Amino acid sequence: MAHGNTHHAASHAAHSHGAHWDTSIWPFVISFGILFALPLAFSFHFVYHQPFVAVMMLGLGVPMILAGIAGWVSEAMGKGEGLSYGAMGWFILAEAMIFVSFFALYWFLRLAEPAWPPAGSVELPRVMPLVMTAVLVASSLTIHYAEHLLHLGDAGGFRKWLLLTIALGLCFLGMSAYEWTHLMHEGFNIGTNVFGTFFFTITGFHGAHVIVGLAIFLAGLPAALGGRASPGFMRTAGLYWHFVDIIWFFVVSQIYYW
Amino acid sequence: MNLKEWIFTTDHKRVGVLYLIGSIAAFGVAGVMAMLMRLELSQLGPTLTANPTQYNIWLYAHGAVMILGFQIPALTGFFANYCIPLMIGAKDVAFPRVNALSVWLFYVGIILAILTFFIPDPPDVMWTGYPPYSILTTGNTALYTFTVLILGFASIIGGVNFLTTVVYMRAPGLTWNKLNIFVWCTLAAFVLQLIFVPVLGTAVTLISFDKYLGTHFFDPARGGDVLTYQNLFWFYSHPAVYVIFLPFFGVVYEIVATFARNRVFNYAMVVYGGIFGIVALSGVVWVHHLYVSGMADWIRIGQMVTTLLISVPVGLMVIGLVGTLYKGAISFETPMMYALGVIFLFLIGGLTGIPLALPSLTLHLSDTYYVVGHFHYVMAVAGTFAIFGGVYYWFPKITGRMYSEFWGKAGFWLTFVGVNIVFWIMMDVGVKGMPRRYYDYAQFPQFEHAHQIMTFGAGIIGIGFAVAVINWIVGAMRGKPAGDNPWGSMSLEWTTVSPPPHGNWPTPPSVSEEWHPYGYGDGRVSSDEAILHTPDVPRVS
Repeated sequence: MAHGNTHHAASHAAHSHGAHWDTSIWPFVISFGILFALPLAFSFHFVYHQPFVAVMMLGLGVPMILAGIAGWVSEAMGKGEGLSYGAMGWFILAEAMIFVSFFALYWFLRLAEPAWPPAGSVELPRVMPLVMTAVLVASSLTIHYAEHLLHLGDAGGFRKWLLLTIALGLCFLGMSAYEWTHLMHEGFNIGTNVFGTFFFTITGFHGAHVIVGLAIFLAGLPAALGGRASPGFMRTAGLYWHFVDIIWFFVVSQIYYW
Repeated sequence: MNLKEWIFTTDHKRVGVLYLIGSIAAFGVAGVMAMLMRLELSQLGPTLTANPTQYNIWLYAHGAVMILGFQIPALTGFFANYCIPLMIGAKDVAFPRVNALSVWLFYVGIILAILTFFIPDPPDVMWTGYPPYSILTTGNTALYTFTVLILGFASIIGGVNFLTTVVYMRAPGLTWNKLNIFVWCTLAAFVLQLIFVPVLGTAVTLISFDKYLGTHFFDPARGGDVLTYQNLFWFYSHPAVYVIFLPFFGVVYEIVATFARNRVFNYAMVVYGGIFGIVALSGVVWVHHLYVSGMADWIRIGQMVTTLLISVPVGLMVIGLVGTLYKGAISFETPMMYALGVIFLFLIGGLTGIPLALPSLTLHLSDTYYVVGHFHYVMAVAGTFAIFGGVYYWFPKITGRMYSEFWGKAGFWLTFVGVNIVFWIMMDVGVKGMPRRYYDYAQFPQFEHAHQIMTFGAGIIGIGFAVAVINWIVGAMRGKPAGDNPWGSMSLEWTTVSPPPHGNWPTPPSVSEEWHPYGYGDGRVSSDEAILHTPDVPRVS
């Protein structure tokens, strides 16, 4: 029950017998979508070498997850994000620990190597990461300004700056994808050596978090386009986006420029 | 009964009961695995199977399912869900749909674990998944990875949910110093989950990356390091011991305070010394799992000190329990029997852990049955007794009915005798040199007799737990009506009707200045006088 004092029945009895209990089918749909799309699809492709079955599993699971998220968002948006900002803080603690693990491993293995980068590595681009940093920092500023406008009640201005933020995020992902293909073309990939392993997993995990951040914005987009944006939701989405931005500083300083 | 309102429920009590059903089912599956292993070991040579990998799969299923499918979900899923909103006077958790998502992700995790028995090349990597074996085996390591990831994600979103709930949704007047010990313990466990589960998630993801995507994290030939997996794994898995220990001790505190009809001895010391101390130290003791893995001495000595040091906050929590019993008006209903059983088993388990904190003794004891026996006393059996005691304790609240006291006690004594037969002998043969994880022990024929007695004891344990579960099922269907507060507890969850309705109270409660969840003793106020039902209490925004 997200909304307040709607249940003031006169007696206990009225509550325990025949009273309505809240339900939602979407958590159930998403959970089983995850079962098909992740463990089963992955196992069929990589372990049992049946790519066709794997594709069928993805075809079953991914629509379930997407439908589940869409249903959840339309069912719940605007009905209880009051506590989500605080909750996002706890969630970010957990997310940050993923990167703490990665960087701890990276520092440990890198400092144990006699020479760095190990044989087989290629020169990483020097300018592109700077541009990517600028784009991501700019997107943090634009979402902050968008929230400010929403707070002032300027729905139109908010919409524009939110769309600009999403565009900058997509631009970042595009540059990342370009860089990956460029490096793989030069023969540097995830299996080349331990540096390739770290480069592609850490930038890949960061990119996945950018995608999640964009997905949170997209979940709020229909409401925003309809002029019904929830300030609580957007504030929480913005907090996650800033977190993704901060992680990038570690990625760029530790992987590219060290 | 409306099945749709159960399966798609977002109510914290029904989500809690779904967790309970799933985790007891998992307990049954993992218990059968234990029995298969005990039967295999009951005599020299192949007994049930001539295939060591089959034994490895039982071992994998027993360990992974008991910990990830039974203890953690029963404690941080069932008890936390059912009790925390009731204990803090809230209508529900902060995010009811997220709660439903976490329980169904837990069921997906259970399904994956059970798939182990039906797929070709099931995972055979123990519950630890150490490389290089987990990377080189033909078993499906990916299934292990995804089981851990999905259950881990479920517990992270559950932790976020409950931390938010307790911080923002306590009833008016319910200050931090009036929280039930169980709520404190569970909050601490959730903080540990948020910090450490992602590390485990990363570690198990990377073994699948190495195996299937060709990375080199744990491949020394290409610049990786095998030992880093063990460090990451135990950096999570030692705190995971406290993720289980804290809530189960919290359950024991609730039971002991109620049946001793006494205040909790030194509440502030238990919370700020015991619980906070464990959280602070839990992340710096993991190396004691790796004493024999090859580790610099300064790390081993340092973590020997921290490992011995963490006995202090744990000891404070035990003293709190014993002090609560002191001068209490104790009665011995079934939940209390289990709670006292926990104190006994935990003391044996705790004291036998001290030698394992010392690197010098561990050189002899590591990878013997001594470790297995110690671990089962301190965590597996003590935790399971607390879970069973807690289910008995809140049974009247959950079902509105009473279980059979006779069969409750019968089940308790059977399991209590059984576990002491099995795990005491296990520690004994361990000291004498019986190595763990062997599917056959042809080199150690002198232990055959001990193994036979242990298998016999395991049978008694199985019967005892089955008696308890049957007692619940019969009690839930045909037990006598129990009333709202059969134990006369002061705690807030007993002030509503049994079973509580959706929304828990017709009007949100607030608590008076004098009320305390353990306010037995002088100048006592009955819980009915202490709880003020105000019609419209302003909530947080």
